[in-house]
Amino acid sequence: MPFTDIAVALQISFTYFTIIYLTGLGGLYSERSGIVNIGLEGLMIIGTVTGAFGARFFTDTLGFADGIALGLVWGPILGILFGALCGMIFATVHAVATITFRVDHIVSGVVINLVAVGLARFLSSTFFDGQSTQSDPGGPHLARLDIPGLSSLPGGLDRAFEGLSPIVIVAALMVIPVWYSLNRTRWGLRLRSCGENPEATRSLGVSVPVYRYQGVLLSGAFAGASGAFLAAEVVGNWREGTAPGLGFIALAALILSNWNPIRLMFFAWLFGFAVAIPLRLNNAPIISALPPQFIRMIPYIVTIVAIAGFVGRVRPPAAAGKAYEGAGGT
Amino acid sequence: MAVEGMSASAAAARTRPQWLETFTGQALALLSAFGIAILAGALLILAYGESPIEVYSSILEASLGSPDGIGYVLAIATPLIFSALAISVCFKGGLFNIGVEGQYLVAMVTAAWAELSLDFLPGPILVPVVLIAAVLGGMAWAAVPGILKVKTGAHEVVTTIMMNGIAISLVAWAINFPLKFTEAPEGQNVDLRTDQFPDQGLVGDIGQYFGVTPGAHLSWLLFLAIVAAIVVWFLIRRTRLGYEARAVGSSPGSAKAGGVSIGGTQLRLFLISGALAGLVGMQQILADRGHLPQNYVVFLGFTGIAVAFLGQNNPIGIIFAAILWGILSRGEVALQIQSEIPREFIIILQGILIFSVVITYQFARRRLAARQLQRAGEAGELEDSAGPDEDAGPRGPEERGTEAFEPAEKKGT
Repeated sequence: MPFTDIAVALQISFTYFTIIYLTGLGGLYSERSGIVNIGLEGLMIIGTVTGAFGARFFTDTLGFADGIALGLVWGPILGILFGALCGMIFATVHAVATITFRVDHIVSGVVINLVAVGLARFLSSTFFDGQSTQSDPGGPHLARLDIPGLSSLPGGLDRAFEGLSPIVIVAALMVIPVWYSLNRTRWGLRLRSCGENPEATRSLGVSVPVYRYQGVLLSGAFAGASGAFLAAEVVGNWREGTAPGLGFIALAALILSNWNPIRLMFFAWLFGFAVAIPLRLNNAPIISALPPQFIRMIPYIVTIVAIAGFVGRVRPPAAAGKAYEGAGGT
Repeated sequence: MAVEGMSASAAAARTRPQWLETFTGQALALLSAFGIAILAGALLILAYGESPIEVYSSILEASLGSPDGIGYVLAIATPLIFSALAISVCFKGGLFNIGVEGQYLVAMVTAAWAELSLDFLPGPILVPVVLIAAVLGGMAWAAVPGILKVKTGAHEVVTTIMMNGIAISLVAWAINFPLKFTEAPEGQNVDLRTDQFPDQGLVGDIGQYFGVTPGAHLSWLLFLAIVAAIVVWFLIRRTRLGYEARAVGSSPGSAKAGGVSIGGTQLRLFLISGALAGLVGMQQILADRGHLPQNYVVFLGFTGIAVAFLGQNNPIGIIFAAILWGILSRGEVALQIQSEIPREFIIILQGILIFSVVITYQFARRRLAARQLQRAGEAGELEDSAGPDEDAGPRGPEERGTEAFEPAEKKGT
């Protein structure tokens, strides 16, 4: 029996891994290009509201064709892509503020998070007939997937690998293109050098702002997709406050991973598991002795302990957070 | 010709006092930020097919058109002043206390606990005791990220956000267990909240003296907020801690070389910030509700960040910014009644306003710094332009943008 609980907790952890990992990859591109983005949370919030709307809209629009439920396959996927697009558009604000106007990165990120809450309500009341904090539940989602082989494990462990969203697999596979683009392409080398030494990069004739814009826009796309996944595939509708702190947890995972997409996988899963504990493991031996409110603190406490314990052992991109003055400053 | 023109203008500029130039620059920045926000808002209103002038005047009418409206505006502004002050104190030292949200939630629990367990005390003693309990609660919650920052270098933005998450659960635990509602009427015990506080433990309504409806819950906490702003101004401008805080905030390296204990200063700033944050929730529980309700999430801490930016971290500016915020928030009511525009329009307008303020201020700051640098270069007196504490304006972008955010300091690494 307890195995089943652990297996289900694992299954939930894979879902939250997806959210944290996708958002973390967004932060990775942005920070590797030299722009600190603590607005990930806000970008995710925009992703949730636009993703929930997109999934429903595209499912209804595509509907059935030739007897195949086109909408049920492409609706959620297009919804997630729509969330990514909207996240990207919103991230442009952060890019313009930090790169063009050289506003402090943290200040701009904080403002992004502030504005996102209001903007989400505004969009929601426009999309969903005046409902500003949630949409109707039971939105469309993709068919669930059992992982072959692993889903026939004995002792209840199979539950961990059953009924997963296909996006979980997609997120896990994202490590390959992301790692390759950063480490094996000219574009990735230039992006990283913008985050390490923009002066040297510029001296080689590369436009630092252009790469930084790309980094920030990518972070918007990833965080938006992650929020859209949360709304369309996990919750099933848009509700205000479904992503409390997940963007910041992703940021913490990114720091612990030392800005490395492969290590980020592990930390995203670890934090995903911490989030899953209060959702599923509240009957486990030691944990059940605590009041439920204390169990809900676990993910946050884990994050604080991890951040405090790992400081000094990781090295961020050297120029991240610094305004780039261009040709010798103004 | 060009050279002559430049030195002539430099000579003219030198006769102008520097603070005047800074002041004019900042005032211009603020005005243009307002202009941009009002214009962008007008475009949005036009997109909804309504008249911007009518919508704006109905907002002003609802908020400033009557004593009641003004009472509501000031009552909304009261907690925001505390919240923005808490953020600005940390900001002066280059720290971001995003955790005001959690700090005031915890302070509401300690205050409610003091109210309910000391309800036998007379009002003049109980109320100060409750306020002290709130202040201590806020300080305790702020001490954690403060100590972690100083001892381990964990970045305060991440730790304070996590402390907020913990605080929400802590409030839920408090009203479920130790402070559970016991006076519920028969058959109606679903309401999760604390017991009603004793009457003598509430702060008095002052609206009646100005012809404001008691519904606005205008209380003398407003005066406490203004006093707090003056104290913060004095602290930052006229005390040793304030000087050290500004030194650490603008250039940690120089501050350290000058013998300032960076960690000690940062910790003290966090504690002061937490103390101010502790008072944020008092307007709600002592003047408005008279108890601590469930799900008390109204983002006063996060709104405080916006107000602090709007007031440019100047204590007096913050008072005006909080009142402006109150005017806009109060305007929501008018929007709902008098137009088809969704009430969330106000939040969008507030968002545009903060962004334009942040960007134009940054722009003005850079222009001023560049001008000072150029003038100093011409006059050959570089040390003049970087005097440590001459005016209220923040330093040049160099200090703000880079040194305060060295990667070693930044995001907890």
